[in-house]
Amino acid sequence: MSSEPLLRVENLKTQFFTDAGTVRAVDGISFEVHEGEIVGLVGESGAGKSVASMSLLRLVENPGEIVGGEITYRGETIFGLEEGPDGELREREDMLSNEEVRTRIRGNEIAVIFQDPMESLNPVFTVGGQLREFIELNRDLSSGEAREEAVDMLREVGIPDPEERYDEYPHQFSGGMRQRVLIAMALACEPNLIIADEPTTALDVTVEGQIIDLVDDLQEKYGTSFVWVTHDMGVVAEICDRVNVMYLGEIVEQAPVDELFYDTKHPYTEALLDSIPRPDRTVGELDPIEGVMPEAISPPSGCRFHPRCPDAREVCQRVHPETKPVAVADGEPHRAACVKHDAFDVGYDESVPLEKEPQTSSESETDAAVSPEPAETNGGGESE
Amino acid sequence: MRRFHRSRPRRTEVERVSDTQERLLGSEMTGEDVGYGETLIEVDGLKKYFSQESGLLGGVSLESDQFPPISVSRTRVKAVDDVSFEIKRGETLGLVGESGCGKSTLGRTILRLLEPTDGNIYFKGDDLAELSGEQLRQKRSEIQIIFQDPQSSLDPRMTVGQIIEEPMRAHDMVDEERREARAKELLEKVGLDPHHYNRHPHAFSGGQRQRVNLARALSVNPDFIVCDEPVSALDVSIQAQVLNTMEQLQAEFGLTYLFIAHDLSVIRHISDRVAVMYLGNVVELAEKEELFENPQHPYTEALLESIPVPDPRDSDARGVLEGEVPSPVDPPSGCRFRTRCPRLIAPEGYELTDEEWERTRAFMRAVKRRTFEPATAAELRREFFGERLPTGAAGEIVDEAIEHVATDHDERGDDERSPTDWESATDLLLESFARQSICARERPAYEVEPAYGSGTHYTACHLHR
Repeated sequence: MSSEPLLRVENLKTQFFTDAGTVRAVDGISFEVHEGEIVGLVGESGAGKSVASMSLLRLVENPGEIVGGEITYRGETIFGLEEGPDGELREREDMLSNEEVRTRIRGNEIAVIFQDPMESLNPVFTVGGQLREFIELNRDLSSGEAREEAVDMLREVGIPDPEERYDEYPHQFSGGMRQRVLIAMALACEPNLIIADEPTTALDVTVEGQIIDLVDDLQEKYGTSFVWVTHDMGVVAEICDRVNVMYLGEIVEQAPVDELFYDTKHPYTEALLDSIPRPDRTVGELDPIEGVMPEAISPPSGCRFHPRCPDAREVCQRVHPETKPVAVADGEPHRAACVKHDAFDVGYDESVPLEKEPQTSSESETDAAVSPEPAETNGGGESE
Repeated sequence: MRRFHRSRPRRTEVERVSDTQERLLGSEMTGEDVGYGETLIEVDGLKKYFSQESGLLGGVSLESDQFPPISVSRTRVKAVDDVSFEIKRGETLGLVGESGCGKSTLGRTILRLLEPTDGNIYFKGDDLAELSGEQLRQKRSEIQIIFQDPQSSLDPRMTVGQIIEEPMRAHDMVDEERREARAKELLEKVGLDPHHYNRHPHAFSGGQRQRVNLARALSVNPDFIVCDEPVSALDVSIQAQVLNTMEQLQAEFGLTYLFIAHDLSVIRHISDRVAVMYLGNVVELAEKEELFENPQHPYTEALLESIPVPDPRDSDARGVLEGEVPSPVDPPSGCRFRTRCPRLIAPEGYELTDEEWERTRAFMRAVKRRTFEPATAAELRREFFGERLPTGAAGEIVDEAIEHVATDHDERGDDERSPTDWESATDLLLESFARQSICARERPAYEVEPAYGSGTHYTACHLHR
């Protein structure tokens, strides 16, 4: 890999302060994005992947707050804390101000594509007008030049008859076309990095295919890097170069895409891959992950996945594994946060396997008084 | 290949079940009159059109220059247009298609939640489309539905117990006490704790709510359940849990599912046979393995190629579909997929080689969608035909079309450069080529020999003529 990463995230923590308590949505994640690569951020809903991606541009809103860690983009500190004279944490000198982030970073250097194209476009302005305004503001072009640029961008992302459609409103565009407009908008200032938050999830599969191909082409042409947030392992396999798998606010596995699928190191990733029905072959029986992801407000002790993990042993309840390199693939580390690997050496092999106690359902915290009887059968359904 | 003829429904004499009172869980629960593998439900020529305007005076507009000075608009959305299939008892028929293809409308029309515009729905021999009032209400205990959104399909003010008992109450089945017993039994069957009987829906996660929906549907002892995207709103790991439960329940209670989904992986997992819908028509219907491994309709092929496969070493190139789904108000004639089909058949009457036709087709679609920038006639020729236009009549038409859209009208020697005329070019090309194809003139319906399994393989594509 080339020397200096484009984006480096270290030990990022984002929390939400609610009445019910502190939700540790993102709890100490670290990853890098290099020039020209697509990095996946994968996980189920509630894993914290969207919050993590929004933190990168400091777009987290109240009651959420980035409480720790460091985000560096090309040597510039997007977020960073230091200890003040009284031991309290304060923002570092070199951290960019809100103004700087807004004018220099967002759009120009790092752009975002959101999941819902209808909500990210203003319904009362024409599509072309919105795109033109964006280009005009960010690139210092005159209105006329910006218009030309906007039409070119629309053509570039495959919108037929862009001159005509420039004057249409978002509701006159189909879902796939709206997503293309957002891609055009993201690309308009030729940013180095695009954060794509589930950009194809709301689309039909043939349209999804078109968009993925479009992104592939554009990526080749402009060399843009991507952080691609998704829950769909199919999309990951198709588009990502390296993948971060998130579970309950943490990155549990980090590997090049081929290793992730063929040399899976974390039981969660493995279980996730086993539980999905396949489009390319008929699977006899699905092997679901037991239970549901606990709330980020009170994560389990030790390894956060241990209550659902088929490989869990006693030690997993006590030791919280940091993500460590457990293998090397093509000179790149394959990191995983699971103590069963030798790199951890906390006595996993000697530890006794955990008795699979029937899991209480996710809402059991709210009324622990009604102790559910262990359900005997029914395919582990109770465990939800 | 022989032409596929829809068989006329065979009406079997069926006793109507008059006494639903004492049907309970267990073996008696299985269907009364239809054996496994026999047709439970048969849909024949079903149509559902929606008028675009709603309200009392919807679609009425004033026309001052005629008498009477009003006109009634007749634009109708053809959501489901002439669909026929049958489902055997104990089977799962997967219904897959993209949003807007009419799959949900079809599911609801079968249950008579929407009034069919035309066609028949034979359920155990009775035509549901003809039933009304009390008869239909009675029948509803045998046919149930599960909706996509587990949140909004449960009343937040009712307890789970009440929710599950309500259908039994509506159908006057068993007494109060046994209803509760049965509700608890059902909770256990769907994988929930019977102690949750008094809880409200908000206390459950998405997957659990979908289980409550399952229990509610099962409470009246149905034979047939329409599942409308039941797992689409769930996370993948939860999806697998619910799918497994649905399969267990099907085996245990002898249920028949119509499983509607847009996710081909889920469809492949749960279905026995699969129907693919496009713009209100079923374009292909075959046994699961056959449909996925030996698809015969270009739309099905495109759909299958589009799915991202969770395997980074799978490098099959995707045949990306051009364009977008046309409006169901005015769907294309003949085969509905023809406007996007990568294998549109060359019209007879022109002597075109395959390559010439391919280039002509690409040019025609590019003009129609206006995907290229204006250029001179020579440039266009080079770009689309590589200097050599098709020979004969086809070539002349193409040449004329190029003249319409080219920026230079040199050959005519016009002094002033008139603007490019996309519309004339589009009309000319579509009229000369697309509308002459058999794909536009006849509605396809064929049966082909299956390569996997022994079931019939229906495909609506003229390539099999």
